[in-house]
Amino acid sequence: MSTWLAIGAVGLVTFLLRASFIVFADPHRFPHGFRRALAFVPPSVLPAIVAPGLLLRGDTVDLSLANPRWIAGVIAIAVAARTRSTLATVLAGMAALWLLQWAMG
Amino acid sequence: MLVGTVPFGLVTGVAAIAAGLTPLQGVAISVLAFSGIAQLVAMQLIAVGSPMILTVAAATVVSLRLLMYSAALAPHLAHLDRRWRLLLSYLMTDQSFASTVRRYGEPGDRTHKHWHFLGSCSMLWITWQAAVVAGVVAGSGVPANWSLDFIVVLTFVALMVPVVRTRADLAAAIVAAVVSLATLGLPYRLALIAGSIAGIAAGLALEARHRRRAP
Repeated sequence: MSTWLAIGAVGLVTFLLRASFIVFADPHRFPHGFRRALAFVPPSVLPAIVAPGLLLRGDTVDLSLANPRWIAGVIAIAVAARTRSTLATVLAGMAALWLLQWAMG
Repeated sequence: MLVGTVPFGLVTGVAAIAAGLTPLQGVAISVLAFSGIAQLVAMQLIAVGSPMILTVAAATVVSLRLLMYSAALAPHLAHLDRRWRLLLSYLMTDQSFASTVRRYGEPGDRTHKHWHFLGSCSMLWITWQAAVVAGVVAGSGVPANWSLDFIVVLTFVALMVPVVRTRADLAAAIVAAVVSLATLGLPYRLALIAGSIAGIAAGLALEARHRRRAP
């Protein structure tokens, strides 16, 4: 039940953010400082998601060679920078992870 | 545009099952939120049993860019009636925003351009939902030792790399990553929100310093 409530609330929030100025408010009253802060949302939010996903092993940060995820992540970042392709990034990262896991037994 | 949508949708569908959602819930969140990032972040939080308020807060933080798009598109859509504006709001995404802003910049009669907006958004909607459904169906049969959860992280890597363009962006990204790791002890993945806010603050601070130095 609580999962359904969360799903409904997330749906409502994403809709209200989209409709905010198109349906409800006047964009001329959008403060300039807030607009500048919003420009930094994507380059802040995405690394805050990616960093724990690459460096965490169990509950601790593991930057050693025994953690294949950050090595595969560095390879994926290089592929993303070169190709700008989601598919190529995912394929390269997964291939690297599987190879490293296999090599480490 | 649609080429990147299919794998992202597939992964999001697989991730819904990996996060412990039922297939119906996985499709429902996709129809209601219609945003890969919001869906993935919300599902990760639901998976760790986070309170609803924090799930919604995290989904809001990662969706704030939609507010930016809404402000940019509003003047172009102001002549439409309310039903049209509600419909186009629901269908608006990163991809359709980019193509629509370009189209409204072209010369010509503005009054019929919303049909192009509707057309491109509808194509994207159908492609996305079909990919998510396929992922949900496939996700139920994927063994755990394939590490498919890593696909979610890699999808975020693919989204992250192109948005880091300036030195201030890079500073925001590094600070956000470090703070999100330093605050991992906080419950319910509050580290995501802490890291994001720290990153935004760092980006703004560096930008302000550059502006003061400039002649």
